[in-house]
Amino acid sequence: MNQKTNSLLCSEAVFKTVFESNFKVLRNFLIYKFKNVERAEDTAQNAFVILWENCEILKPEQAKSFLYTTAIRLSLNLIKHDKVVYNFELQSNVKEAHQESPEFILVESELKTQLEKAINDLPEKQRIVFLMNRFEKQSYTEIASLLDLSVKTIEKRMHLALVSLRKVIKNV
Amino acid sequence: MSFNLKNNENDTFLSDWLDDKISDDQLKHLVSETDFLAYKKLKDSLAVYQLAEPDMDKNYAAIKEKKIAVNNQKPVKVFPLYRYMAAAATLLLFFGLYNLFVFSNIVATDFGKTLSTNLSDNSRVTLNAKSKISYPTLFKYNRTLKLDGEAYFEVQKGRQFTVETSQGKVQVLGTKFNVIVLPNYFEVHCFEGKVKVTNATNTTILTHGDAVRFYENKIESWEENDYQKPLWINGESNFKNVPLQYVMAQFQKQYNFEIQYPAEFKTIKFTGSFTHKNIDVALQSICIPLHLKHAKTNAKTILLSE
Repeated sequence: MNQKTNSLLCSEAVFKTVFESNFKVLRNFLIYKFKNVERAEDTAQNAFVILWENCEILKPEQAKSFLYTTAIRLSLNLIKHDKVVYNFELQSNVKEAHQESPEFILVESELKTQLEKAINDLPEKQRIVFLMNRFEKQSYTEIASLLDLSVKTIEKRMHLALVSLRKVIKNV
Repeated sequence: MSFNLKNNENDTFLSDWLDDKISDDQLKHLVSETDFLAYKKLKDSLAVYQLAEPDMDKNYAAIKEKKIAVNNQKPVKVFPLYRYMAAAATLLLFFGLYNLFVFSNIVATDFGKTLSTNLSDNSRVTLNAKSKISYPTLFKYNRTLKLDGEAYFEVQKGRQFTVETSQGKVQVLGTKFNVIVLPNYFEVHCFEGKVKVTNATNTTILTHGDAVRFYENKIESWEENDYQKPLWINGESNFKNVPLQYVMAQFQKQYNFEIQYPAEFKTIKFTGSFTHKNIDVALQSICIPLHLKHAKTNAKTILLSE
């Protein structure tokens, strides 16, 4: 029985499902961490490769936390020789069907630039937690378990992040 | 425009508000009107944005590709560099220790040559022809050396000084003595002080002028006070009652000639000396007293006959 559960993850169909349901959030988490899409995708891919290599000793329900632990461990090796290189970019997820007055577009793009800069300037720990919650819709409890932190810490970081953003974006 | 938030750094009401645990109205009580509007605006505008979507197919393909690459690499075992470094360091360490404690310094002489050398404890060794000594680098602290052939020692006073040979050993404190080691032949002649000679079966103590030789299970000791140093240092080997085979062995070392003679000559006792400077004179001084004839059969061989 145990044997059967364990080898489940090794079947490509199961692995693919795990990939479909976790890759995007893991990759975005790493973007918040690195502020760099290429590196984030590369690290996320590597985490999945390591997950696959260990598929025999892991159950599918363990995959998620294994992925995050592995990705964090991999990023520790990377981060040292990293200076700046960021290309943090946001995309509007609103259907562009309504009010496209030039003025609106100008204000909109100004706000976007300001937000990108403010997010970019956030301390890494606050940025990760804040954006995981705001953009990835992960609850505080979920983030806490993924990062192996207490919920209280997550709440503190959320609070501080919003305060920091408020200070940068004075005139919104 | 003043932020009152610094008052309580542990506050998390903003995170509660973001999580909809407290309402807008409740937040209004906690912060100023301006702040509230700013937070509200931030919350709303953040909701409008997201990151660009990843290309899932491309990423999945990349994972598969990497997995294959990893699988192909697998048989190659990776040894971390530190293991090599540890191995290298160990080797170096052993090499160093070997150098310090093992008999790694070698002084040797060729046919017909003598050589004097000072050891690190200021003892002086004079090597006769075709002889060899070896001693450790830390000789000062462990005065032990190995000898093959013949050497004259003038030992500085100090810790025990030991000469190890294949035929036995000589231990002294500070003195002058000569040692001859040949296959199955061991002779020690003490010129000053006191030495202890040990071979497989016997231990003898010699004081100045005493000499002892061991060969073919025989022990012979005698007294010799006529000179202060071995004569060979001045270019002459002298013998007292020594079987011819050992005389010839030393002759060979001086002149690098092969000596051929009938087996019964081996045990003839020879008393006398030969010079190291002229082979013909040397041969005569051995052969005439023993009533032997000698002839050079070729450039490297001498034949003795009756």
